[in-house]
Amino acid sequence: MKKKAYDVAVIGAGHNGLICAAYLAKAGLKVILLERRHETGGGLDTLEHAGFKFNTHAIYHLMAEIMPVYKDFALHEMSVKYIYPEVQAAYLCAGKKPLLFYKNPEKTAQYITSVFSSKAGESYLKMYLDFKEFSEKILIPLTYVPAVPALDMVQQLNAAKDPIGKKFNQIAELTPLEILESYSIEEPVKAGVLNLFTMWGLSPFEAIGYLFPLYVYRMTNAALCAGGSHRLSSALHKRVVQSGGVISDMSEVVKVIMNAGRVDGVLLADGTEIKANAVVSTVDPRQSFLKFFDEPDIPRHLADSARRWEWEKTTFYGVHLALKQAPAYPLADSIPDAQNALITFLGIENTDQILDHVEDLEAGKLPEHPLGHVTCTSLFDPIQAFKGFHTGRWESLAPFKCDWEKIKESYADRCIAAWKKYAPDIDPLFRLVYPPTYIEHKITNMVQGSFKHGGYIPLQMGYFRPNESCSQVFTPIDGFYVCGASTYPGGMILGGGGYIGANILAEEFGVDKKWEEPEMIKQARNNGIIPE
Amino acid sequence: MAEYDAIIIGGGINGLTCAAYLGKAGLKTLLLEARGQCGTHCDTTEPGIPGFLHNLHATWMITAMSPAMLDLGLEKFGLEWRATEFAFGKTFDDATNTLIGLNPYDTVEHWRKISEQDTALLEKGLDFILPRIEDLADVLHTWLFTAPDIQKEKAMGSIFDEFLKSTGIEKSFDEIIRMDSFETLDLFYESEKIKTTFQALQWLAGFPPNQPKIGALGAILGNLMGTMFPVHQCKGGSHGLTHALVKAAVHHGVKILPCCPVKQILIENGSAKGVVLADEAIYPRETVAAKKIISNLSLVPTFINLVGENHIPPDLIKKIRNFKYDIQNLFVVNHALNGQPRFKSADFDDGIQKTFMGYFGGNTSASMRGIMESIESRRIHDEIIVNWFIPTLADPTQAPPGCHVVNTWLDVPPDPKYWRNRTLDGFMSWDTLKYELADEIDRAWEMYAPGFKSLVKDRIIYSPLDQYRNNPSAILGSWNGGSMIPEQFYEKRPVPGVLAGGGSRTFIRDLYLSNSIHLAGNTVLTSGYIAASEVAEDLGARTQEWWQNKAFTWYLENALNVPINLGVKEVAS
Repeated sequence: MKKKAYDVAVIGAGHNGLICAAYLAKAGLKVILLERRHETGGGLDTLEHAGFKFNTHAIYHLMAEIMPVYKDFALHEMSVKYIYPEVQAAYLCAGKKPLLFYKNPEKTAQYITSVFSSKAGESYLKMYLDFKEFSEKILIPLTYVPAVPALDMVQQLNAAKDPIGKKFNQIAELTPLEILESYSIEEPVKAGVLNLFTMWGLSPFEAIGYLFPLYVYRMTNAALCAGGSHRLSSALHKRVVQSGGVISDMSEVVKVIMNAGRVDGVLLADGTEIKANAVVSTVDPRQSFLKFFDEPDIPRHLADSARRWEWEKTTFYGVHLALKQAPAYPLADSIPDAQNALITFLGIENTDQILDHVEDLEAGKLPEHPLGHVTCTSLFDPIQAFKGFHTGRWESLAPFKCDWEKIKESYADRCIAAWKKYAPDIDPLFRLVYPPTYIEHKITNMVQGSFKHGGYIPLQMGYFRPNESCSQVFTPIDGFYVCGASTYPGGMILGGGGYIGANILAEEFGVDKKWEEPEMIKQARNNGIIPE
Repeated sequence: MAEYDAIIIGGGINGLTCAAYLGKAGLKTLLLEARGQCGTHCDTTEPGIPGFLHNLHATWMITAMSPAMLDLGLEKFGLEWRATEFAFGKTFDDATNTLIGLNPYDTVEHWRKISEQDTALLEKGLDFILPRIEDLADVLHTWLFTAPDIQKEKAMGSIFDEFLKSTGIEKSFDEIIRMDSFETLDLFYESEKIKTTFQALQWLAGFPPNQPKIGALGAILGNLMGTMFPVHQCKGGSHGLTHALVKAAVHHGVKILPCCPVKQILIENGSAKGVVLADEAIYPRETVAAKKIISNLSLVPTFINLVGENHIPPDLIKKIRNFKYDIQNLFVVNHALNGQPRFKSADFDDGIQKTFMGYFGGNTSASMRGIMESIESRRIHDEIIVNWFIPTLADPTQAPPGCHVVNTWLDVPPDPKYWRNRTLDGFMSWDTLKYELADEIDRAWEMYAPGFKSLVKDRIIYSPLDQYRNNPSAILGSWNGGSMIPEQFYEKRPVPGVLAGGGSRTFIRDLYLSNSIHLAGNTVLTSGYIAASEVAEDLGARTQEWWQNKAFTWYLENALNVPINLGVKEVAS
């Protein structure tokens, strides 16, 4: 056999690529991780500028310490620490009482009862506790095992020892709106809960309601990575190096090299060839199949499915501010907790307004009155701003197709004006705008600003992500594997794709896994939630 | 937390160098960095349009002459150098230019257009230098990478004396060293253009030409080494050096903790015993013990803030507090451009278009003196006289295909009092002043490279106040660990009484200073190297075979292999 320079070449050093490389290097394989940009981390991007840390992309990490990599690589010893603010979200709306979500659900229910109605408080708590159980027993463990076909999953859950399986099946095929109705959630709580889902560009109309409990549960337990999101990727980076892996940045892969019908390595933009027995792509299906390969060399259905891949209909517009003081909201003067929320939503009144907003966005309309949310990370983590100052981050959903180069600054003025309606005293020292085009330019898998690497529609989810023959990490191309946001379990900072990819590759290479299956997965197996 | 052999405070390139050496020497080493990223003055970021990488501080890299290249095997950790055909160019208002080539004979060719007399001197100089290059490297290794010592410096004099004699200058090294660079250069050259080129170059390297001794030394070093200037771009931006050093350190077992500012160095019975982390650190108020503490913070933050005045003799407190940070800091403007600017002087010699670093403004020595006098009187100089860099000429990967990034450095007093007919509010004036001053720089660019403004897509401004906020150890945004003035230079650095028995050992036992010492600035990794050498010696771990490479060895072996403008990302046709 020809001697290879590496066992595995991983393409893309976002968090999934880093995780995959770290595990495989730990298992003793010779691994090289190739990154196009000058920095690793992908969406875990913290821009340090003049003493301020701006999280230009990912900010709330949905899984935080739950990710197996956190424990397996002792990231808590590597300057990775999660902060869970007590007040998770505040909805401020002119002329209305603020709606608050606490990390503690009883506290949320109490608050809702005291400000709105006891029925509203009770129904929220009931739903929340169900969602928590669905997430902990089913959705979270499933995030870290390979995808199971939907029908098999329904059967598996129906037959599960734990009755939670059957209960989950009852809502799994509903839309988020139908789920909210089934729990009789009242306004404005309904709007508040729904928005925790739709703020990620997830459609309230699609049958992806099975994800709804997870988002609501995790977004009310949202975590900030202390020191900025990049702490997580930076720690993973060091773990890869410590485990003997090689990380090569400024290394854009342009082709996967084939030899005798099987993968033989990769070719970089500067002409460098890197030999590898296996190549793992963590980038989007268009690049993975249509760019890295010549079409005649791969099965036709792969190329077709990559061509059919749908990007997301909405993306993000952001403005980052260096602030002289933390934003103060006079509207909520009588409720101090509303000043200290991790995420502050501005101007969201009711569900219809959200639905109209989503419809406009999906039709490609740029909201005249942006419905945004703001975050002041330095309230919880002073190290993110220069001493005595604060950071402010505005984010709102936006369509990709606008003349952003022309309007990026004027739209920022509009967003800041919308923020000032609630916090009249904000006074930025300077600002950095971040239109959707920047997302695509910076992270080329996020075509049209697709921050989840592709739309969350039933045909691109679960066993179908990125397509039926590749959702298990293997592809029909010998030696080529995929894991990352465009494969199961999808985008966001879940740490699932890289973990599943590493497990499958370790088995492929027949190397000893130097890590144990997490307790939650064992438990789910015992409960009959995950197939043996 | 466990006890370490060494704790390094500060993960700039010198802290990282020190850490990597100690880790490789087998010592249990912890590096604490206050920011989220290591590198600090070696930042490369994308604060504007993605794809345009901006080096917010260090832009021209002279690490290639550091022994760390070989000792630490930095190439193995992904470090790659890029260069342009010419290393330095000064463009003048009469549309001429002066160039210094990577190959000294390209310089000779070009100088013929400027002055036959100066070219002849350069040729004589090269005849002297080239056969003695190893000896010179040796002298420079001793001068740069070992503790300052006036005897060693005197010993350097003999090779300089010979050099002077060979060029027909009838002065001894001892006489010359008392001069400033304006006087020294008058001895060497007739052309004002060539004189100002060396003034610019040595000022850039941290040897202000108007300072006695420092200026003269700068002029001589400029003549000796400037003709073979080992200056490069790092592939992927200056931060690439940081990446390689981080990987080297981590590979050798160093633990690096970002977001861990230190609030106190613990002193017991006159010895440093450990550190306490700040309240806002990832591990708030944690105490970590170590046998040796190395501070990469500059003089005042190390002693006044972290050690505390109760551990410092009163007369020394006063001297430390008087340490100067305020002479000449940088106002930086970075542009993202649609194409390459074309200098007016390209018609005179288009080598200027193949030069990634240079200078404009300051057409005469008097004009160069003028800006220095302005800075010393806390005035922003009227004429815009700047260093410029076009890193993408050496490394096109730092911008999208066909595009370029340009960094422009204006030397300014960090706490300006006057600009034109206005009175300013010192250091705090930068937040508002910066936009106007950047506009002036745009105007100056337009003068030297017409059409410049129409290429601009984006502009990032980094004032001394921004530099300080980015790196609070750099008081007033200082870039050299403190002003380079005779009373703070070489054996007197930082101030007499702080160092004891070497180049980094301080008056507090087991506490080492690796900033504000010797030539702390630039990217040659001197201070990290000196601190690592002394800590390892003191712990009996300075015996490794790998740890004996000399300065310039890597450069002399590899200079010709550094890729020159690969053009890997040219516009697709």
